[in-house]
Amino acid sequence: MAQAKKGANPQTEAEVNNTEQASAPADNRESSPKNTRPEEMVHLVVFKLGTESYGIKIEQVKEVTVTPTITRMPRTPHFIKGVANIRGDIIAIMNLEERFGIRPAPVPENEPVRTTYTLVIEAKDYSIGVVVQEVPQSLNIAMSKIDKAPSFLQDVSINENYIEGIAKVNNQLIVVLDMFKILTHDEIKQLVS
Amino acid sequence: MKSREQEYKEIFIAEALEYFDALNRHISDLERKPQDDHVLAEIFRLLHNLKANAKAIGYLQISEVSHKLETAFSLIRNKELSFSDEVVTVLFDGIDMLGELISNVDNPGMGEPDPVLLRNLDIIVDNLSDSTIELAKVQKYNTSRKLSLSDLIYIQIKKLDHLLNLVGELMIDRDRILSISRELNNDELMSVSSHLYRITEELQYSVMDARLVTVGSLFNKFPRIVRDIAVAEKKEVNLELIGQDIQIDRNILQIITDSLLHLVRNAITHGIEKPEERLKAGKPREGRLALTARNDRENVVIKLIDDGKGIDLKQVRKAAVDRRMVPADVVENLPQAELLSYLFEPGFSLAKEVTEFSGRGVGLDVVKNAIDSIGGRINIESEKGKGTTFILRLPTSIAVKGALLFEVDDIYYAIPLIHTESVVSMDVSELHEVGEVLLADVKGETIAVVYLNELLNSAPDTMRLGDVTRLKGQVQNIIIVSYNNRKLGLIVDKLYRQQDIVVKSLKKPLDNIDIYGGVTLLGTGKVCLVLDVPAITRYFINRR
Repeated sequence: MAQAKKGANPQTEAEVNNTEQASAPADNRESSPKNTRPEEMVHLVVFKLGTESYGIKIEQVKEVTVTPTITRMPRTPHFIKGVANIRGDIIAIMNLEERFGIRPAPVPENEPVRTTYTLVIEAKDYSIGVVVQEVPQSLNIAMSKIDKAPSFLQDVSINENYIEGIAKVNNQLIVVLDMFKILTHDEIKQLVS
Repeated sequence: MKSREQEYKEIFIAEALEYFDALNRHISDLERKPQDDHVLAEIFRLLHNLKANAKAIGYLQISEVSHKLETAFSLIRNKELSFSDEVVTVLFDGIDMLGELISNVDNPGMGEPDPVLLRNLDIIVDNLSDSTIELAKVQKYNTSRKLSLSDLIYIQIKKLDHLLNLVGELMIDRDRILSISRELNNDELMSVSSHLYRITEELQYSVMDARLVTVGSLFNKFPRIVRDIAVAEKKEVNLELIGQDIQIDRNILQIITDSLLHLVRNAITHGIEKPEERLKAGKPREGRLALTARNDRENVVIKLIDDGKGIDLKQVRKAAVDRRMVPADVVENLPQAELLSYLFEPGFSLAKEVTEFSGRGVGLDVVKNAIDSIGGRINIESEKGKGTTFILRLPTSIAVKGALLFEVDDIYYAIPLIHTESVVSMDVSELHEVGEVLLADVKGETIAVVYLNELLNSAPDTMRLGDVTRLKGQVQNIIIVSYNNRKLGLIVDKLYRQQDIVVKSLKKPLDNIDIYGGVTLLGTGKVCLVLDVPAITRYFINRR
């Protein structure tokens, strides 16, 4: 997993890294307007849910791995895909598309079975896995790029509490999620059918 | 393994040495502050305990010297003896002698305590302030004193819990390595992994052994409790304790503590009759209560037996019907065991009045939940007029459980053996669709049977538990489980072996999905779900 670069470069406002297991060189740079004092930066892990991009702060992500074998667990909510053994820890694996009712991106016909990835999210006393379809990207952006309270939030199906803000980078819209709020919300405590 | 007696002795010595250290500390304090009553009281307490413990285990010399010292200190406390230099010397010598006796308890060459010192002790005790008689010079004991540390350590149970968790993880990895080494068929790897297996096994038993305490450590609290409740209830009760030496995991004992207390209270307030009633019924005046423990294979069975009035089945039937737990026409034909199991339902109480000790709404359901939580079982046997017996069947250890492995819809499951009764194979034709359930005749007993795949995997609105056509294949493997005196047959797809498993509890957010008791990893690295029989039974009953 690529680590966040400490002390971000003031000349680079966005830096997108390929994050499959090891850090790869930046493949996307954009020059920023003149800015004299270093800005507060935030490092996101960006992934696709449906056709849109979502991001989680890297501090909340313990690791990214190819999705391991998942053992289905009957009589759990539909968005819990089951449990998996990740380095001896048995953790629940969740599908956020199903959790938020997001329509999955259409899969092209004749495509071989796609490898999925699992973000291991670490909360205080437990971990949970989140399945995503494509290789997650690592993205370093200025804090100021995150719009904390866009007015349209009330209209989307994701409970606004889970959304930390919306970031716009390279004409790309990234919904920044607060995973800890998702994990601690009462709803998930009342999983019992 | 060491004999129990040897173990007690070691505990005594370790404790006594600790007392000895504390005495030395306190008497030095006292020499500086002779007026400190608090220190004096502490010395007094230590000597008193030491005397009692030594006497109990048969070290009479230690108990005698402690007694003399205790007497001296009681005089000092009552201001009948001044804490003067001469007296201080004798007392220090006396305490040193105690230390000597304790460390040489098993040394036959030690001989008698120095008579001169004993006489000195007698002199200060007997002559009070009249010190005309010379105190003889005593040979110093502590010229060649060597410092020694205790052989026992206290350890927080939390640390042992952590250790046991780690051993559990290790066992899972061990099984995985063993299975990989078989696949690879490499001789060297196989020999290393079988060695690893043996060491891990020994480690597991050592850690489990370190957590064992005697049942007596809980039982011995009951004589006083029973006495207090009996007095308050104006009853006469004789408590008998059997099997205090049986060993059990400390946490299991901790979890059943409140339950046992609750059952004992119940037995005295509701079970045992007042002396006059007992005489009228032709019973001895004094009620008999017995707490017994014994080993039964991997488990510990604790029984609480009273010879009181027993449970009135008529009342149980009435209460069950009143609470609409069972229709009035069915209740008459229920077998006694099943009827008694209603006592464990929440809110089910036969108590008419709240007394100081019982009937406060904390019912047997709480007891049952506690026993369930550690994977134990509880049963009642009762005969009207003769008495009631509660039988608690408890695992010796929390972490490792014998379990039966099986498969349903390509998923591995395990059920702890403590809940399994038997395993049978049956032809589909022997399963009968009655109402919404399947019934089968198992060794002369009619048992409800359920296809686990249907119970676990079908959508709630299309679930058909009483539909034979949902079954796959002709011959069905059925695991008969038992919970709260009710038997239930679980039809599984494939039946595997019996195996010791390390149950890992489920972490959030799955921790309160109660049909699972936890998960375990098989040697193949596959995840195996551990079913919780109590919850599965309840789930089945609610679905029905």
